[in-house]
This record gives sequence, structure tokens and C-alpha cells, in this order.
Amino acid sequence: MALLGKRILIAKPGLDGHDVGAKIIALALRDAGADVIYTGLRKSPLYIARVAVDEDVDAIGLSILSGSHKEIVVQTLECLNELDASDIKIFVGGTIPRDDYEGLIAAGVRGVFTA
Amino acid sequence: MNPKSRNSRREMSKALSRVANASVSETLEEQKSIPINNLYRIGVTGAPGAGKSTLISHLASKRVQRDRKIGVIAIDPTSPVSKGSLLGDRIRMETVSDNPNIFIRSIPSRRAHDGLADNTADILWSMEDKNFDEVIVETVGVGQAEYSIRSLVDTVVLVLLPESGDAIQAMKAGILEMADIYVVNKSDLPGAEQMAGDIAVTAARKSGVKEEWIPKVIQTSNNNIDSFRALDEAIESHRIWRSEKVNRDEERRARILYQVQGLIGRRIEELIEVLTDSDLDKTPKEIYEILIENLSKFPK
Ligand SMILES: Nc1nc2c(ncn2[C@@H]2O[C@H](COP(=O)(O)OP(=O)(O)OP(=O)(O)O)[C@@H](O)[C@H]2O)c(=O)[nH]1
Ligand SMILES: [Mg+2]
Repeated sequence: MALLGKRILIAKPGLDGHDVGAKIIALALRDAGADVIYTGLRKSPLYIARVAVDEDVDAIGLSILSGSHKEIVVQTLECLNELDASDIKIFVGGTIPRDDYEGLIAAGVRGVFTA
Repeated sequence: MNPKSRNSRREMSKALSRVANASVSETLEEQKSIPINNLYRIGVTGAPGAGKSTLISHLASKRVQRDRKIGVIAIDPTSPVSKGSLLGDRIRMETVSDNPNIFIRSIPSRRAHDGLADNTADILWSMEDKNFDEVIVETVGVGQAEYSIRSLVDTVVLVLLPESGDAIQAMKAGILEMADIYVVNKSDLPGAEQMAGDIAVTAARKSGVKEEWIPKVIQTSNNNIDSFRALDEAIESHRIWRSEKVNRDEERRARILYQVQGLIGRRIEELIEVLTDSDLDKTPKEIYEILIENLSKFPK
């Protein structure tokens, strides 16, 4: 129950319709004690940032399988900043090539988790 | 304490979290004066999967058309094992999720088992001064949620499914006496007409008194967006009826009593959590006395 009292948004940007992974992560986080909110499929970075503000989450987990992780991450961080919410942490999962980890971290992602 | 944000929505959202996360003593310190009741409160309750969240999404989009700012408090259960939660109501509210005049906050039920969260009363209290015109509360889908939500809201909407037997079940449980508006949802499924008829007869039965509100029965379906207009209008007529007939003082007293009961319950839970093993080796009477003694001190 390491995450007791933490609020986490699991978000599914991009156009692919696969969210089994996102749902499993959501369940695992719940089992670790977190309060988890899931956005549903195909959400824009702005939508995700707005929901994160309204739900006042501590972190957002982006599940990305589409390959456009860099753009999505940058846009989401920009939207958060615009909404004065850049203290909300972002982590990323999905299909992310190892070579891209460093770039994502440099952009401001706190962690990259893949299967 | 109240860090200013250049985004007022973020600031309001954070203020709400402070209330949601507050201990009993912090809550008591915050509630210095009784707020003017501005917020019209609508409670939506019904069995798991009855379609409450979907219905709230349609309802909220109707309410904003009346030029009102709407808050939604959507409660989902806390896992008794991990104490975490999956707050899934919002997924059904996608279409209104980024409407600037609708604010949705998902909250876990925490220690409560009555369909609400143990701090719902305090959250609603704090929403009185946050520029909302109305709040819609979605209860957890558990039996008996009707009783608690009744104490906190102005209009109770009970969502039922058109399955045979449901009406009888509802009558048995006595919940057909609790709501102001009955919705037979998913009326695209067979049996809705019959169900609505049964409930209308049952609900009208109690109208022996002239002054009494005669509960409305409405059929709605996700496949027919227009069906939610009737719900919106029924809420409006209940609101008008209430403004003429309800004794606000009596109601305020009942609400504050529910709120204080909740605070005492939470305080007892807080005190139970800090009991030591050696406390628990004592007799029930001794443990009881320890709890009562600690309860009598103002929580630090
Ligand atoms: N056929 C039909 N299905 C509906 C209708 N409204 C909602 N549903 C479906 O019913 C299921 C449950 O809907 P929700 O809105 O999540 O129900 P809920 O009462 O909020 O559920 P809990 O919060 O889990 O208790 C979903 O799969 C919806 O798509 C409707 O009018 N007709
Ligand atoms: Mg729901």
C-alpha cells in the first residue's frame, strides 16, 4: 500500500484502440493503494491535462503504443504547463524503443516502463 | 496555505482536494461559519451498472444549457483490501468532461459503506462557496445508499433497470419511499413500460397529503438523448416545488446532524487506528473507556 492516498490518472492518448495494458496498470496501482482514474481511449493531450487538473492527480501515466510518444509527451507537458500544473509528474508505458528513453526523460518524463 | 495559481480552476480544484484529504480536526477548523446555501444538490443513486454515470453525463449537459455551473461528485468504492480505488465513473462522462461549465471530481468511498464517501458532507459544504450553481452526486451502487444521500441533497433520483422483479425488490427494500424522481433507465430494453407503470402506481399511493410531492417516473435511454430532457424538467419542477414547500431550517439541521455524525464516526476510526496492542489486550469496557476519553479531547 505504498501509494495510499496518491491519485493517478492513467491516460490513453493516440489513435490505437488497445488498452488492456493501461487497464492492468490501473489495477496494479489500485492494488498498491492508489486512487486511479482512467481517461478511456483516444484522448488528446489537452483533454488529458484538463482531466488531470480537475481530478487534481499527483501523476499521469501515459500508455502509448502508436510510436508517436515524443510528440505526445511534449504536448502533454506543454498543456500541463499552460494550466499551471507542471508539478504533475508524467510516466510513460507501452511500446517505447530503448533508444528513446533518454530523450523522454530529458523532456521531463519521470519514468519509462515497458513490458 | 492557499497558494495562488494563475489558473483559477486549478486553484479551486486544489482547494477541494484539501477538504477531501483533511483530517477531522482540520475539517472542523475549516468549518468556521455556516455557509449560505447556494448550491442546488441533486443525488443520483441506483444499483451497480444501472447507468448512473451515463445518465449524469446527459443530465449535466442539459443543466448547463440552463446557464448553470455544474459540479459532479462521482463516488466509487474503495477496495477493502488495498484501500486503493478504481474511479471509473468519469469514463462514462467523456462528452461533458471538458466542458468549461462542468467540473467532475471522482472520489473514493474510503471508510463509508452507505453509498457515499465518509467526507461527502464536508466536500459539499466546501463547494457552497466555489461558484457552482448545482452539484450532482453519484453514489456507489450499493443497497441502502438512498437513505444517506437523502440527508444531503435536495432532489434524489433513483435509477432502476427495466428487469422484471426489480420493482418488487425496490418495494421490499422500501427505497420506493426515498426518491423524488424514479428513472427507468435503459428503456431501450424490454420491460421498461411495465416497470414504469408499476412504480408510478406505487409512488402515487403515498400522496394522501395534499402538500406532498408526487414522485415523477421517467423512462430514459442512452439511445434517445431527448429522453433526458424529461428528467431535467422533472428536476426543475421538484426544485420549484421545494422552494415553496420545504422548511429550510429543519432541513439544514438534519444535514448538519448527518455531517457531525460523519465527523464523529471518522474521529473514532482515527482513534481506533492508533490503539496499541496492549490497549487491545484489555477488556471491552476498558478499551471503550480509552476511546471515549480520547474522543472527548479535541483532535490534534
Ligand atoms: N442498453 C443500454 N445500456 C446503457 C444505457 N445507459 C448506460 N448503459 C450501459 O450500462 C453500463 C453501465 O453504465 P454506467 O453509466 O457506468 O452505470 P453506473 O450505474 O454508473 O455504474 P456504477 O457506477 O459502476 O454503479 C455501460 O456499459 C453503459 O454503456 C442505456 O440507456 N441503454
Ligand atoms: Mg458510475
